[in-house]
Amino acid sequence: MSLRISTAPHMHNPLTTQRLMQYVFIALLPTAAVGVYAFGFPALAVLLISMATAVLCEFLWQKIAKQPVRINDFSALVTGLILGLNLPSTAPWWMAMIGSAFAILIVKQLFGGLGDNFLNPALAARAVLLASWPVHMTASAYVNPTYFQAGVDAVATATPLASKSASIVQLLLGQVPGTIGEVCKAAILAGFLFLVITGTISWRIPVIMTGSVFLFTLLIGGVTPEAALIATLSGGVLFGAVFMATDYVTSPITPWGQVIYACGAGLIIVLIRQFGSYPEGVTYGILLMNIATPLIDRFLPRKIYGYKKEAKKA
Amino acid sequence: MLTKTFKRGIHPLHNMHEGKGPTRDLPVREYVSDSVVISMAMNIGAPAKPCVKKGDHVDIGQVIGEAQGFMSVPVHASVSGEVVSVDSIPSLGAGNVQAVTIKNDFADTWVELHPLGSVERVDPKAVIPAIQAAGITGMGGASFPTHVKLTFREGATCDTIVVNGAECETHLTADYRLMLEHSTRIVDGLRAVMRALNVKKGIIGIEDNKKEAIEAMAKAASGREGVSVQALKTKYPQGGEKQLIEAITGRQVPSGGLPIDAHVVVLNVGTCAAIADAIIDGKPLISRICTVTGCVRNPANLLLRIGTITEDIIGTCGGYSETPGKVVFGGMMTGICIPNDQMPIMKSTNGIVVLNERQSHSKDESPCIHCGRCVQACPIGLNPYQIKVAADKSDFAAAEKLHVMDCILCGSCAYQCPSRRWLTPSFKFCKDHITAEAKARAAAKKQPPSGAAARNASAPKDSDSMGKQSAGHAGSSEGGANK
Amino acid sequence: MSEKKSLGKVFFNGIIPENPTFRLVLGTCPTLAVTTSALNGLGMGAAATFVLVCSNVAISMLRKFIPDQVRIPAFIVVICTFVTMVQLLMQAFVPSLYESLGLFIPLIVVNCIILARAEAFASKNSPLPSALDGLGMGCGFTLALTLMGAIRELIGNGSVFGMQLLGASYEPMLLIVLASGGFFTFGLLLGLFNLIVKKVERKHAQKEAHAA
Repeated sequence: MSLRISTAPHMHNPLTTQRLMQYVFIALLPTAAVGVYAFGFPALAVLLISMATAVLCEFLWQKIAKQPVRINDFSALVTGLILGLNLPSTAPWWMAMIGSAFAILIVKQLFGGLGDNFLNPALAARAVLLASWPVHMTASAYVNPTYFQAGVDAVATATPLASKSASIVQLLLGQVPGTIGEVCKAAILAGFLFLVITGTISWRIPVIMTGSVFLFTLLIGGVTPEAALIATLSGGVLFGAVFMATDYVTSPITPWGQVIYACGAGLIIVLIRQFGSYPEGVTYGILLMNIATPLIDRFLPRKIYGYKKEAKKA
Repeated sequence: MLTKTFKRGIHPLHNMHEGKGPTRDLPVREYVSDSVVISMAMNIGAPAKPCVKKGDHVDIGQVIGEAQGFMSVPVHASVSGEVVSVDSIPSLGAGNVQAVTIKNDFADTWVELHPLGSVERVDPKAVIPAIQAAGITGMGGASFPTHVKLTFREGATCDTIVVNGAECETHLTADYRLMLEHSTRIVDGLRAVMRALNVKKGIIGIEDNKKEAIEAMAKAASGREGVSVQALKTKYPQGGEKQLIEAITGRQVPSGGLPIDAHVVVLNVGTCAAIADAIIDGKPLISRICTVTGCVRNPANLLLRIGTITEDIIGTCGGYSETPGKVVFGGMMTGICIPNDQMPIMKSTNGIVVLNERQSHSKDESPCIHCGRCVQACPIGLNPYQIKVAADKSDFAAAEKLHVMDCILCGSCAYQCPSRRWLTPSFKFCKDHITAEAKARAAAKKQPPSGAAARNASAPKDSDSMGKQSAGHAGSSEGGANK
Repeated sequence: MSEKKSLGKVFFNGIIPENPTFRLVLGTCPTLAVTTSALNGLGMGAAATFVLVCSNVAISMLRKFIPDQVRIPAFIVVICTFVTMVQLLMQAFVPSLYESLGLFIPLIVVNCIILARAEAFASKNSPLPSALDGLGMGCGFTLALTLMGAIRELIGNGSVFGMQLLGASYEPMLLIVLASGGFFTFGLLLGLFNLIVKKVERKHAQKEAHAA
C-alpha cells in the first residue's frame, strides 16, 4: 500500500485566495447593481467592458509569458469591476478598455502579477485615466442618476463636492452625480458589512480612514460637524476606503500599520481636497499610502515571544 | 473559573470540536496484538542498544534495549514471548533504526517489579533515577527524555511544574480520556516530580472545551499539596510549551532558551501518569493511550502496547472506511506522515489519524496576496510571509534575522494561508539548515586550523546531503580566514 | 582592451550593444524631459551628438597632456566649449527648437554620456576611433530619443514630427506627454530593448555552443 507523505500541517482553512476574491466580488455586487439601476445601460456596458478586458488581458499575459493561467482566482475580475465602478457612466468604451488593460498589464503583471504589485491596479489605472482624459473623468462627465431625474429635488450642480449642497440622505441613497460605484453609500456599507462578517477584511482600514477624513475635515477645514460628515460621505471616500484601501497586497499587515496607513490616507485626502487643485483626492491619498506600505510593514516593530522583557516592564 | 491564554493563535475546525467528536466519549479499550516491533530510537538523543537476541524469551517489562549515555533511556519489552528478530527498520526520521520484534505468547508474565510506594513518601532522590529506568520520555509528541528535562544545569531554579492537559491538537482525545479515567494517577505523577524537585506549585492546564476533564482533575487535585487546575481558552497551539507557560504563568521563555529559563518545567499528562506507574507500581513505560480516528470504521481510544503495528491497530478499529491517502502519527497540525501501515507506534504516538485521498491531496502554492492571516495567527509574533520570501531564495541569513529560529513549527500560519503556501515546511527546512550549519561551524572550530582538515573531519559525520553541504561551506570559510 | 577593435565595431557599438539610453541608462534627464515630440528628440540627439564627437576628438588629442588628477575639470571645460557653440548656433538658426529644448541645451555639459565617453574611451584612444565612438554613441542616443519622442507624440498628440497621423476623432492620452508618461514610455522601451537584446544574445550563445 502506498501512502502519501507530506510535512505538517495536514489540513487547511477552507478559505482560499479564490474564495476571498469571490467574497470581494459579491460585496461589490450591491454597489454595482445600484449603479446600473441609477445610470442605466451605459453603466452596465462600462462595467462589463472593463471586467472582460481585465480578464482577457490577464489570460493573454499569462499565456504569452508562459505562466500558469490563474484567471479563475477572480482577482482580475475584481480589478475590472472596481475599475468600472470608478468610471462615470458616460465613459467611452475605449477608456474602460485602456484602463483595464493598464491595470492588469502594467500595474499588476509587469511587477510580477498577483501579490507583487505595489499599487492597487484599479486605482492606478483610474489615476492614469484621470490624468489622460480629464474631460471624461471629472465633474463634466458626471450625470445625474437617470432614475432620479423624474424626482422632486434633483441635485442640479455638477458635483456635490464642489457645492456641498447634497443632504446626507441623498448621499446615502445615491441621489447625487458621481462615478458608477460611488453614488450609493448604503450599498457600499452593505458590502462593507459583508466583507467584515465573512472575515475577508478587518474593520480597521475602512473605519479609521473614513473617521480620519471626517476628523481632518473638521480640524483643517474648520467646518461644522454636519458639513464635515457630508464631505466624508461625498465623492469616493467610502468606496475607496472599503474596496480599494483594503486591497491586501497594497495595505499593511499589522494592526498598527493599518492604523497608520488609514490615517495617512485620510490626511492626504483632506489636504488635497482643501488645498489641492483637484476636487477629489481619494485616488492619490490611497495610492500614496500604497507606496508607503512596504516601509510601514518593514519598520513597525513587532513583539516577538521571548524577546520582550524590557517591553513588559514598561 | 477565569480562562487564560496566549496571544494570537488559530481555531482549526472550531465548529467541529477540533475533530474530536467521534472519539471524545469513547472509553479507553485495551488492544494487544500478536506481535510487536519495538524501535530502539524512541527518544531524542542516543538510541538504545538492543541487549536481546533472536530466540530469547522475554517477559513484560524486561529491558531489551540499554540506554546509551545520559541523553538516552532504556527500552522495555511490551509483551511476553519470543524475540523473533533484531534488525533495522525504516524510521520516521532519516535512515534506519534497530528494532526488536517479539511474538506475543499472551502469557502476560511480568519481570520482577520494584515499586517505590506512595508518591508522598518516596525518597525524593529516588524519583528521577526511577523515571530514567522506566524509560519515560515526553509523551505529548516530542519524546524528550523526561529525566533529562528534570535535571537542571547549575544555577537554574524551578518554582512551578506545569502539566499539559491542553490537547490543542485536532482529532486527538487520548489525553482527555486519560484525564477522565486516570486523573489520580496524573496528580500522583505530578506530586512525585514536585517532591523530587522540591517545587511547591503544580498547575494542570486544560482547555475549556474539556469541561469534564477539568472537573475530574479538579476533584483529583483537591486536598493535594500545591496542585491546582487552570482552565485555558480553547485555541491552537494552546498546548505548545511556550504558549502554555505564557498562558499559565504570564512568563515567557527567552528566545533560544528552555522552559527552565522561565523557572518552569512542563510535563504532559501522559508523562505524569507514566511517572506515577513507575513509582507506585514500579512498572516501566510499555503501553500508552492512543486515539485512532479519521477514515476508520470504528474510531477508538485504545490502550496500546508500544510497538504495535499500525495495520493491526486499524484492523481492530474495523479497518479503513475509505481508501487511505495519508496516515498521520499525531494530530493534523503537527503529526508525521508514515510511509506505510507497517510502522509500529512509539512512546510518543498519541494518535493515528487516517485521511482519505481527497483530504490528503495537497494543493499547489499560489502567490502570496499579503492578506496577513499568517501574521495574525503566529503565536510567536513572527512575520511568516517575510520569512517565506527569504526561505524561497534560500537566504538563510535573512531568515535567521527574521527570527525563523524562534518558530515553533506549530503550523498555524500554513493552516490559515489562503494561498496554501508551504510556510511551515520551509521554516523547518530553514531551521534544520541553520542548525546544521552552526553544528558544522562548531565542529570546524574544534578541528586543527586547516580548512581541508576541517572539511574532511566534519563531512562524514552528517549523513544527509544538507549537512554535508553546510559542513563544506564552514570548512572553506575557515580555510579562507587562515590565508 | 588589448586587441584593437575594428572601427566599424566601434561605431556600431554605440547604436545597439551599448546604446547609451537603453543599455547604459545614461543621460536619462534629457531623455525623460525633452522627448515630448519626435522633433525635440531628434534636435536634442543631434546637439548631443555634435558635442560628443567634438569633445571626444579634442579630449583624445589632448589625452597625453591632461594630468590625471585634474582630468574631470579639464574634460568639462572642453565639453563646455562645444556646448556653448551648439547653444549659440541653435539660437541663431533653429530658434523654435532652441525655445522648446530650453534649459536642456546648456545641461548637455553635465550629460553623463559625454563625460562617460570622454573618461572611458576618448582619454584612452586615438582621435579617429574616438570620433567614431562619439558618432556611434550620439547616433544611438539620437535614435533612442527620436523613437521615444515619436511614440509619445503619437499617443499623446496623435502626430509624428508634427504630421497628424491619427484621425481627428482620436482623443490623445495626455498622460503620455506629461512627465509620468515619460517614465512609462522609458520603462517600457527599456524592458522591450533588454528583452530583444537578451534573446539575440541567447541565440548567439547557442550558435557558438553548436559551433564548438
